[in-house]
Amino acid sequence: MALWLALALLLQIEVLHFLRWHGAQLSLVLVVVVWYAIGSEPRTAALIGLAAGACEDLLGAQTGGAWTISTTLTALAASLAARGFFTDSVALTAGIAAACTLLRRLLFWIVMSLQGYPAGFASLHFHQALWEAAINTAFVIAFMAALRLRAASRR
Amino acid sequence: MLAVIIAAAVIALLQIGSARSGSASPLSSVAGAIAIAFEEGASAIVSGVRGATHNLALIPSLQRANNRLEARNKALQRENARLNEALAFYREQAALQPQIAQYPRSIEARVIGFPPEYAVQSVTIDKGTRNGIARDDGVLAADGVVGRVMEAGPFSSKVTLITDFTSTIPAVVAQGRYWGIARGNESSVRLEYISQDAPLRVGQEIVTGEARSFHSGALIGTIVGLERSATTLYQTAIVKPSVDFSRLERVVVVPK
Repeated sequence: MALWLALALLLQIEVLHFLRWHGAQLSLVLVVVVWYAIGSEPRTAALIGLAAGACEDLLGAQTGGAWTISTTLTALAASLAARGFFTDSVALTAGIAAACTLLRRLLFWIVMSLQGYPAGFASLHFHQALWEAAINTAFVIAFMAALRLRAASRR
Repeated sequence: MLAVIIAAAVIALLQIGSARSGSASPLSSVAGAIAIAFEEGASAIVSGVRGATHNLALIPSLQRANNRLEARNKALQRENARLNEALAFYREQAALQPQIAQYPRSIEARVIGFPPEYAVQSVTIDKGTRNGIARDDGVLAADGVVGRVMEAGPFSSKVTLITDFTSTIPAVVAQGRYWGIARGNESSVRLEYISQDAPLRVGQEIVTGEARSFHSGALIGTIVGLERSATTLYQTAIVKPSVDFSRLERVVVVPK
């Protein structure tokens, strides 16, 4: 998990900013967090979110602890939402990824405004958050479809 | 037997007669016409066989020559790529020279990363406090203003771009010297608090005013739109930054 998270961070810092669509980009870190959170206990999921968010805060600028808090809570929410469902469901995973994208963005801007950032940026960035949710969801669907194809070809 | 002797005598007489007259005999002409077809065919076969044998003999040396040329081609391609990279590097260096000449104490740096989520528009550069960089130092690229140093570590620094919402820079319209505040607006910059009387036009250049982080005259961008209202005291200019932030590689930090 740590390796995947490190790889996701590296790709986001160096590569993914070139692939922006309508001001939004794929959030590989969130995808990795959600992927592991939906199959983990809430405490484990929170720890995963904490680690990922802390790394993003350390590598970003002026975000303080906003990613740490928002990603931790988002991972916790993802773990709780996936309880009682099969984690290999494409629809469930994609839906959780989309919801978690929006939730994390909202929590991020709330924490930023509490840290002194100008208020109202959550609504200002809502359009961008929607596009990011669409991109993350599309990636999750494509990834899970690829995994299923690979599993089917091995049988 | 007698017929054979007579046929031989006739052929001989015809040949002798033709030889005496200096012309080709009919029999020679016919025989020659028939023979030439076979001779040409045989000659073609022989030369084909000779050619194929010659080519077969050449194959090993051709393969060796081909291998040498392929290796040489690959080496030349690598050298070409290296020289292209060096050329691009020196071009970037040359592009920064006017900024370095204008600010002798400036510090060259390279952009090494972008923020993971790009919520706050910033870049990370590979120089820090060990190189003399401090918070609020201005950062320029070859094309104009990049932003301000917001965090300076010992080995790297984080620069907030002028398009970030928290970025505010005193700015001046180059033609006319009208002052305003250049505020980041996600993908552009808004020059606010300009008097309604100022005759702004699309295409005018916006430069920095003398302030804490920048000296005056550094190019911020060009006006691409105007917002005026009869009910407000000020007008706002929408400015397209002169720097392409998605392709930012080398910058210059200007210490305060």
